[in-house]
Amino acid sequence: MFLTIQAKGLYFSYTVSAPYILDGIDFEIKDGDYISILGENGCGKSTLMKLILKLLKPTKGTIVTNADHIGYVPQKNDFSNANFPITVYEMLNAYRRLLKIKNKEAILEVLDRVGMNPFMDSLMGTLSGGQCQKIFIARALMGKPDLLILDEPSTGVDIGSQKEVYRFLKEINKKNGITIVSVEHNLDAAISNSTLIYHLSGGKGHLCTPEKYTAEFLKNEQ
Amino acid sequence: MLNYSFMQNALFVSVFISILCPCIGIFLVLRRYSMIGDTLSHASLAGITIGLLCDQSPVLGAFIFTSICGALIEFLRTYLKKYTDLILTIVLSLSVGIAITIISSGKLHANADSFLFGSVLTVTEFDMITVLVLSMISVLTLIFLYNQMLYIAYDEEAAKIAGVKVKLINYVFSILVASAISVSIRIVGVLVLSSMIALPVATALQLGKGFKLTLAFSIVFSVVDILSGLFISYDLNVAPGGFTALVSVVVLVVVILVRRIASQVKIKTS
Repeated sequence: MFLTIQAKGLYFSYTVSAPYILDGIDFEIKDGDYISILGENGCGKSTLMKLILKLLKPTKGTIVTNADHIGYVPQKNDFSNANFPITVYEMLNAYRRLLKIKNKEAILEVLDRVGMNPFMDSLMGTLSGGQCQKIFIARALMGKPDLLILDEPSTGVDIGSQKEVYRFLKEINKKNGITIVSVEHNLDAAISNSTLIYHLSGGKGHLCTPEKYTAEFLKNEQ
Repeated sequence: MLNYSFMQNALFVSVFISILCPCIGIFLVLRRYSMIGDTLSHASLAGITIGLLCDQSPVLGAFIFTSICGALIEFLRTYLKKYTDLILTIVLSLSVGIAITIISSGKLHANADSFLFGSVLTVTEFDMITVLVLSMISVLTLIFLYNQMLYIAYDEEAAKIAGVKVKLINYVFSILVASAISVSIRIVGVLVLSSMIALPVATALQLGKGFKLTLAFSIVFSVVDILSGLFISYDLNVAPGGFTALVSVVVLVVVILVRRIASQVKIKTS
């Protein structure tokens, strides 16, 4: 097992001083893990995700990843650009060029994996929440990532599509060995899909198995 | 009217404006930065007056000063993240302050009024060369940075994760906006210049197409707006800038109405 992500004494504050949203957290995520990050609104889940993606810099401490290529799936509801005039193909093709992938077939391959080939010429704004999420997963799979980071993948997605998305995530985690870090608000999906759960509360984090999480944390909350 | 050399010069510049403005405008509009275009077009007035004061080309003066203002807006955004409208007010105050101070000092040896409203009579050969060079460099830069700029506009976080140097490209984009503005001020004028950047794009967006087709339609609408504005304003003996803005609004309204009627007809027949 190779280490994929390691956080050591990680502090983060948007004001660069106390109080810290992340208050000295440590964790290690290994290759092939499927981690769901859980916690109440405002506890720092998305902040931690942005630190892993290097979109934010730690106030103190370190967070490193040795993943060769990271795929990212944004939160569908966060996406304010729903009316942007862009087709599925244009969106994926531009991303392919950013990743310097020469083979145009890569677009068809990823669309095929998520079963969205018929929507290649559709405008992004005309897709449903579930279809949109599948396209973002297809985009994240371009360049064959070894780490996939998702921000609340079930938000704004109907229940049928949620099941499809989680089934697919579990499949690529198991079959392709892609490490998955998913910021979650869907407790059932987190418990049934993940190999580990990272619970954030009061700036501190706790890593445990889904079974232990169900037995300890959920019991305490009841 | 095309027998007159001043109209030939104006037509030459107009063609470049009508291609360059929507190419820049589409990124400004989609990033919800239309007001940056407005601020920078007003900022160009200070560049024009500085150029005239130094006996240099006002178009070149506008390009340099507007580029500096564009970079200043980008720089201030790092410090005033939540107050982008305030940044525009600061830059607008600085540049309009400079322009009014220079104009009112009486030290200008030329008239800056034609730059406010646009004029076909004032396009010089040096302006044409400047317009040609700036337009070519801008279009080539846009082609080179097309995918990066498209992604920054569509999903800035994904662009950063894919390794796009967002800050650097934002600075380059500021210079491209400055270039489009300085190319356009002779004909369109400072006061309505932002309409040339935003309105053809707004019209093309009504068609509900993908990015490349929206860009292509923006250029088509821009050519229609600017050339009809130029020729009709000549016949009516009015400033081309103001009339071009009016044509742009009329074309936008017509496209919205045609779309509505077409969709209602479609509903009735289905």
